Order: sequence, then C-alpha cells, then structure tokens
Amino acid sequence: MKNKKLLDSPFAVIFCNIVLFLLVYFIVTSDYVLSLAIMAVVIVAILLVNRINLVNKIFDLYVKYKKTALISGLVLGILYPFSLTDNVYVAHIATLAVIYGIACLGLNFQMGSTDMTNFAPAAFMGIGAYSVAIASVKMGLSPWLGMLGGVLLSGLFGFLIGLPTLKTKGYYLSLVTMAIQLAFTELVRIWPYVGGDDGISGIERYKLFGFELYKRYTIFGIRMSPQIPYLLLCIAFLVLCTYIAMRVYFSRTGIAMNTVAQDEIAADCLGINVSRTKLFAFVIGGMYCGLAGTLFAGLEAYAGPATYNFQKSLMLICMVILGGMDNSIGVVLGAFILAIITEKLRDFADFQQLIYGAILVIMLIVRPDGIIPWRVRNHDLITRRKPKVIEKLGVSTNIAEKAELKSEV
Amino acid sequence: MSEQTALLEVNNLYTSYGRIPMLLDVSFRLREGEICTILGANGAGKTTLVKAIIGMVKADQGTIQFQDEDITSMPTHKRIEKGIQVAAAEVGTFPKMTVEKNLRLGAYNIKDQKLLSERLEEAYESFPVLKDRLQQKAGTLSGGERTMLALARAYINKPALLIMDEPSLGLAPIVVDEVFRIVRRLNQENDMSIMLVEQNVVKSLGVSDYGYIIQKGQIIFQGDPDQIHESGILDNPVMS
Repeated sequence: MKNKKLLDSPFAVIFCNIVLFLLVYFIVTSDYVLSLAIMAVVIVAILLVNRINLVNKIFDLYVKYKKTALISGLVLGILYPFSLTDNVYVAHIATLAVIYGIACLGLNFQMGSTDMTNFAPAAFMGIGAYSVAIASVKMGLSPWLGMLGGVLLSGLFGFLIGLPTLKTKGYYLSLVTMAIQLAFTELVRIWPYVGGDDGISGIERYKLFGFELYKRYTIFGIRMSPQIPYLLLCIAFLVLCTYIAMRVYFSRTGIAMNTVAQDEIAADCLGINVSRTKLFAFVIGGMYCGLAGTLFAGLEAYAGPATYNFQKSLMLICMVILGGMDNSIGVVLGAFILAIITEKLRDFADFQQLIYGAILVIMLIVRPDGIIPWRVRNHDLITRRKPKVIEKLGVSTNIAEKAELKSEV
Repeated sequence: MSEQTALLEVNNLYTSYGRIPMLLDVSFRLREGEICTILGANGAGKTTLVKAIIGMVKADQGTIQFQDEDITSMPTHKRIEKGIQVAAAEVGTFPKMTVEKNLRLGAYNIKDQKLLSERLEEAYESFPVLKDRLQQKAGTLSGGERTMLALARAYINKPALLIMDEPSLGLAPIVVDEVFRIVRRLNQENDMSIMLVEQNVVKSLGVSDYGYIIQKGQIIFQGDPDQIHESGILDNPVMS
C-alpha cells in the first residue's frame, strides 16, 4: 500500500527522470562495449517491467504530474550537455540523437498516428538543410532566416506531396513517397546551383544575439566541447516539439488521425474530414523533419545529397518502429537508441550494418509494437477527471483495468 | 401519406463504378418519421445507394435532397454534419480503441461537453449491453455487441436520418430480434427517421412503414408492406 502511494507522487516522476538522465549519460559517454551492454540490459528490463504494465503506469504519472515532469526534465536537459565536458565526439553523437528525435517525431505523425508510411522523411530534412545552405552561402542571409524558410518550405512540400497521395493508400502511398525520396536525392545531385555531388559547405553557424552557438567555451575552468551550446539549442527544440506533439496527440485532430488510421470509411461517416486530417499529418510532419534538417545543417556546416538519401529515410523509419509507433516518448527513445548504436559501432564499420539489422530483427520478433508502444486511449486522462458514468454504474476501475489487460493479451 | 414532407429525396440518380453502371434512374422519397426499407438481392445496388446518399460514391446524374437542401455535391463529412448517420457493416468500429472512445468519437461534432455527457448517459441507458464494456477495446467485442456499438454511436448524435445497412448481417437470430426491437424503439421514442437496407425480408417489412424493392440498379416496386406481400413480387426465388 505504502509502495503504491510512493509510486503515485511527483517524486516518482522526478526519480524516473533522474534514472533516465543517468542512463542516457552512461550510454552516451562510455565506450561501445559498455554502452551496448547497458542498452541491452535496459531494453530487457523494460520488457520485463512491462509484464506488470508498469510502463503504462509511469506514462500515466507523467501525464498526471505534467508540470513536475516538465520542469525536472528541463533542468536535467540543461545539465546534460555540461556533463559531457570536453568529449567532442560524444557531444556530436548526443546532438545527432536529439536532431533525429525531432525528425522521428515528425515522421510519427504520418507513420504512427495516421498509418501512412512515409519513405521520404530524409527528403524533408534535406529541404530544410538546403534552405539554410542556400540562404547563408548563396544569398548571404542569416541562417535563422534559412531555418524559418526551411521549415515553411518543407511544410509546403508536405502539403504538395500530400495532395496526390490522398488518392492512394497503404503500400501504394509508400511507393509514391519512396519515389519522391529518390527524386529528391537525384535532383540535388544533378542541380549545379546546389553544388551537385559536392553539396554546399561552409554554412554559417547559428548565432544567438552575438553569442556563437558552435564554439569552445570555458565554464568554471572546464573547457567545453564546441557543440555544447548548440546541443542546448537542439534540446530546447526537442522539448518544444515533444510538447506540441503531445498536445496534438490529445487534441481532436490527434484522435481524428487515429480514426483515419484504423478505419477511414468509419472516420468519414462520423463527420471527420479525412483529407484535411491526412494533409495535416503531412504538413506538420514535414515541418518537423524540415526543422531537424536545418539543425543538422547547422551542426555539420554542410548539406550534401549523400546525407539526405534513401538510407537515412530507412534509418528514421527504423527508429520509429523500434521506439514504438504513435507514442511521442517511445519515438524519441527509439531515435536515441539507434542514433547512438550506429555511431558507437563506427569502430566496427564492417559489422555495423549487420549488428544494426540484427537488433531490429530481434526487436521485431520480441516486441513488434516497439519498446514503448501506443497506448489504449484513456478518456479520463484527457479531461483529467474520472468519467461520471463509470462511477454511477459502479464499474470499479479494477475491472476496467483487468479488461484492458485482457484485451491487450 | 404522400402529403407528409420528405426528409430525403433522391431524384433520377445514376451512379457507376468506372464504366460499369450501378444505379439507373433511382428515385425515392423518405418521409419524416417513417421507417423505410430498401430490399434487394446481392449486387442489386443497395449498398451503392447508401454510399451515394452519404457521398462516398459520386452521383453521375440526378439530385439528392436532404431537408429541402441539395446535398448532391457535398463531401461526406458535411453531410454527416447536416444530420445523417450511418450504421453499416462496412462502417466499422475502431478495433484498437475502447468502447467509450468509440462512442465519444460518434459525437465528434458535438462540442458542448454537457450535452455530450447527457447524450452518453442516454446511450448507456438505451444500450445496456455496452455499459459493462466501456473500457474494453472494440476489437474484442462480439459481433452483436459491435452492431450495438455502431448503432449507439450513430444514435448519440440524434440524427434526423439514420441509415442502417444490413444491421442483421452475421448475427444470431436472437440478436437480430433485439436489433429490430431497437430500430422500432428509436423510431417511436426518438422520432428518428430510419432507412433500413436489408436482406431479411420478413423482419424488416415487419417494422417498416414503406418499402422499395431494388433489382439490378433499378427500383422495380414500391409500396406498403402489405402491398409488397400481396404483389407476390417476393415469391420470385431470386428476391427472397
């Protein structure tokens, strides 16, 4: 009983946040053997823990104590980059993981929520990156303007490819997006204005009020790696994006997207505007990916066709599948895990793809829904009070929970 | 009978799937407050007619009027807002969502929380089967319960016109009786006009006020249930 009370308090949320923070820290900083071992242990632990439905309970807690979770998460998020200190390579991996997290959140709107597998997220990222490159290198504008333009442009692009794909469904829609991805890579490769195969290098780094975001700073006598301020910026964007994604998930539009995924005809017959919902998913997803692309360009100071090819799209899709479709937290987790694995396995360049594939296959056998899968939508969480009807009818939540457990089996 | 105002009026409707014509010159009227049955064999065009009315199949020619308003070229979700609801086999429930969520989704266009909770209460009273299963996923319901859920979901909006496409499909006889009892109750207690599309001739004519018989995309007979029985048109083995 006491245990239960402790679990249902804001401290539990803070505790979970600290545990997550420590895990991420150790996984990112330790060398590949240790970090892979920790990751494997964590995944197995999550799977075991989920036997008693604990993941869902923790998730409910986060929704319940939203403010505590957000504030403690923010504090730890700000501390996190400073803990990486002088390790340039580790800081680079951490930044990459955060950027992929943003792109995966965008892809999740299409793949997870609306069940439209989009094979072109890297093309959207590319549009964002090339916008920044063109704005800063070719036009001499501020990269921030490029970022704004990139996000808007990828949203527009999402709208444009969303329009014809309204007519197709399932595999055919995926084929259309695949074609768009291939066309994009080919286009930037042969277009001399954007540098062809060489791409555009020398992109101006982001600056905030004269404060350079990509530079070595010394704080309390400790020399920081140059990516640290930039990592902070990316984390800020990730938090903002996660917040928006959660809001969308719990909104009418979010529910409408789920209905379109499960039964389009029924959604139509309930008065849901199916085409608008699908276009919304494409546009917001495109904007997320575009934002990730602009951040990516700022990190590498380079935009080239090889960075935004079909391989990267596949990687993003794998991240979403691994993390868990239609669950913002799961998707970000999946992005972190795969980004770190691919980077950590650089030492074994020969076996990298092999191990990477093996992890995915094992995951799909053990847990096809992903590490943290979608949840049954619980209505009282949205209105933040118990539905009156249940109380009146005397259906104890215990029975309801059991029913849910059963139905999940 | 004919002086009553028509709720739904379909005039000279033609539809086709690609180059294959499906409905040929179909005209029918559904008067306010009545239960109207559309009978026909497989492939006669019953479901196509339903789809044309809710806007999932485009009308090539002809007009559809609902409450004296031309809705022929409206998109589906607009027509639903006007007060048409469908409970049909192909309009499924959302299997991965709870029963309660399914019901609330039925009321997607009701934005007033108080009205919504009132309507939900009414729905639970009318469909007691569902109230023990609110937190269960719709995919785990039995066929009969799922039909009830679809009916309840349509009922929540208190639509002016409720279209039911083969509600008795694949159900046990005792559940079929229950479904038709509910159909009659919705009509009598809630003044809902109902368009019933069925293959179960005896049961559906038993509850309805007027009937149309559709064959090969054309309406070949119309009249009261008594007239239909007397005409002997149902004796044709293809029709029964």
